[in-house]
Amino acid sequence: MRIPPYVERFSAVARRFIIASVVSCIVASSALFHGVSVSLAGERELMLAIYSVPKEAYENKLIPAFKQHWKERTGQDLRVRSSYGASGAQARAIIGGFEADVALLSVEGDVDQIAKAGLITHDWRKGADRGNVSASVVAFGVRKGNPKGIKTWEDLTKPGVEVLYPNPKTSGGAMWDIIAIYGAGMRLADPKQGPAEAQAAALLKRVQKNVKVMDKSGRESVTTFERGIGDVIVTYENELLPRIKSGRPMDLVIPAETVLIENPGAIVDRSVDKHHVRDIADAFVAFLHSEEAQQAFAEYDFRTVTSAKAGFQPAKTFTQPAHLMTIAELGGWDKVASLLFGPQGLWTGAVEDLARGK
Amino acid sequence: MSRHALTALALRSAAIGYVLCLILLPLTAIGFQSFEDGLTRFLDDIQQPQAKAALILTIEAALLTTMINAVFGTLSAWVLVRYDFPGRAFLNALVDLPFAIPTLVAGIMIAAVYGATSPIGAWLLKGGIEVLYNVPGIVLAMLFVTMPFTIRALQPVLMELERDQEEAAYTLGATPWQAFRRVTVPSVLPGLLTGVFLTFVRALGEFGSVVIVAGNIPLKTQVAAVYVYGEIESYNPQGATSVSVVVLIVSFLALMLLERLTRPPDERLPVLLTRVLNAQWLVLHSNSKLKIQN
Repeated sequence: MRIPPYVERFSAVARRFIIASVVSCIVASSALFHGVSVSLAGERELMLAIYSVPKEAYENKLIPAFKQHWKERTGQDLRVRSSYGASGAQARAIIGGFEADVALLSVEGDVDQIAKAGLITHDWRKGADRGNVSASVVAFGVRKGNPKGIKTWEDLTKPGVEVLYPNPKTSGGAMWDIIAIYGAGMRLADPKQGPAEAQAAALLKRVQKNVKVMDKSGRESVTTFERGIGDVIVTYENELLPRIKSGRPMDLVIPAETVLIENPGAIVDRSVDKHHVRDIADAFVAFLHSEEAQQAFAEYDFRTVTSAKAGFQPAKTFTQPAHLMTIAELGGWDKVASLLFGPQGLWTGAVEDLARGK
Repeated sequence: MSRHALTALALRSAAIGYVLCLILLPLTAIGFQSFEDGLTRFLDDIQQPQAKAALILTIEAALLTTMINAVFGTLSAWVLVRYDFPGRAFLNALVDLPFAIPTLVAGIMIAAVYGATSPIGAWLLKGGIEVLYNVPGIVLAMLFVTMPFTIRALQPVLMELERDQEEAAYTLGATPWQAFRRVTVPSVLPGLLTGVFLTFVRALGEFGSVVIVAGNIPLKTQVAAVYVYGEIESYNPQGATSVSVVVLIVSFLALMLLERLTRPPDERLPVLLTRVLNAQWLVLHSNSKLKIQN
């Protein structure tokens, strides 16, 4: 091959540099393309994006069971790849191009964001159990023996009680926790003392006053609690139960007024159509609503979403709070979230007031 | 073009392209995103009470960190260069540790040492000093990650410094402190200033270690980087980029100031100002002379 004259003009150093850059670009791009996996002939693949908390439930029970069922039903070998991360981070990854076929997240707000981006085109709330696959309640974790005698939301406002919950800006779990305080405030409001919302806002402020640390996520919050910070942590029941089971020195207290946390699961239409796995994805979501899957969830301390509907008796019984509220009763996720966390929100205002010393 | 000129052009373009792609492009993208909805939206975003409080806290903590590390960094560099003692090599290597440790791990280390469950933390608590989840914790985290900057910037300059000027000062009757202040410091000023400004800029943007030890209560113990993270996570990327742009502007101004202050002596700001003033005086003086003559 004849070397063009202008190439000859480059010094040896520059020539080698240019060749090295071109070669490395080719290698890099081929490495990138190789990252997109090519499934073996005859093997179909399903991609899941799941929030971090139920990882053990999915890896140990749900995914193997589903693969087994699919094999029995269709004879096909299934490859299931799942990614675990914070619910909001997963939602943003999917919006940003992560081609997950099913999104199993912690709060409905995150699934709505994916729908808003046009990636979910069906009304996911119309599915079984209103689109939710698992549930839990907001509960208190206290030190073993409950030395400070914490039973109610008012106990959290007492001076000298240190409360922990994560930052609602970064944690869906924290949003549920604060929604529970708001719901309790509304429920406990004395009609003679004025509008319920103002009393709920006052309760939010009194609890927030006793909060010294706000971690980025629910998991981090529990870790901080385990490290000896705080007297009570407000979090999901299903975060506390496994730790108590494994012998950590803490107790579970479920307040009389609390909120039912429901975790949604929806198919990402654009991905399933692109990968031609709609049948598998549909079957997987249907499986999650089945009795077998709900029993598996219960084993991992999640409450069932199917309730007593199909005469389904969960293997484990959970304490039923006296006044369990659902997000629908409180006005729906969007309305409550903007009421509490928007720029003029009740919680945002409480934090600002506290900082100004009011 | 000659072969040398072509090579020079190729290498220069590669270098400029590298800086462009890595730094300038992302910065421009952030700039566009913050001003997407116009200036009013940008000003709104940064005037949110939480954003304002976060920015003020971050700048104050970074300034405090810079002042503390300027003093202790100079001291450490001086000791490491001028004295020989057992363990000096080890200490010298330790200085680079903050570069090697992931900042999250640094935060966990600080929490472990100064938390309520450790002996040191418990002792401090008894004395009424709450390090963790308060501003002292934030400053401590910033101090840790910025520690090497001043030391490493000063060491080579101190090593190169010829002792004869200092010794001349001593023979002329200067005390060690006077010699340090008037002979050593002016000679190592560029290195010292570089270290100081880098410390400030780095402390401004620190996230990993601060988020672990800070408590992150909005308007109280939340730094700008944590606020930005919160806004990104709540689907408000514009609020996030607006605050980021403010931090970037402050950092950029600091670095420009550093660049000005560390230029060769005849281009430094005080000298330039003196020249301008001299020139004005000359003009005035010559005018008045002419007037008198007339």
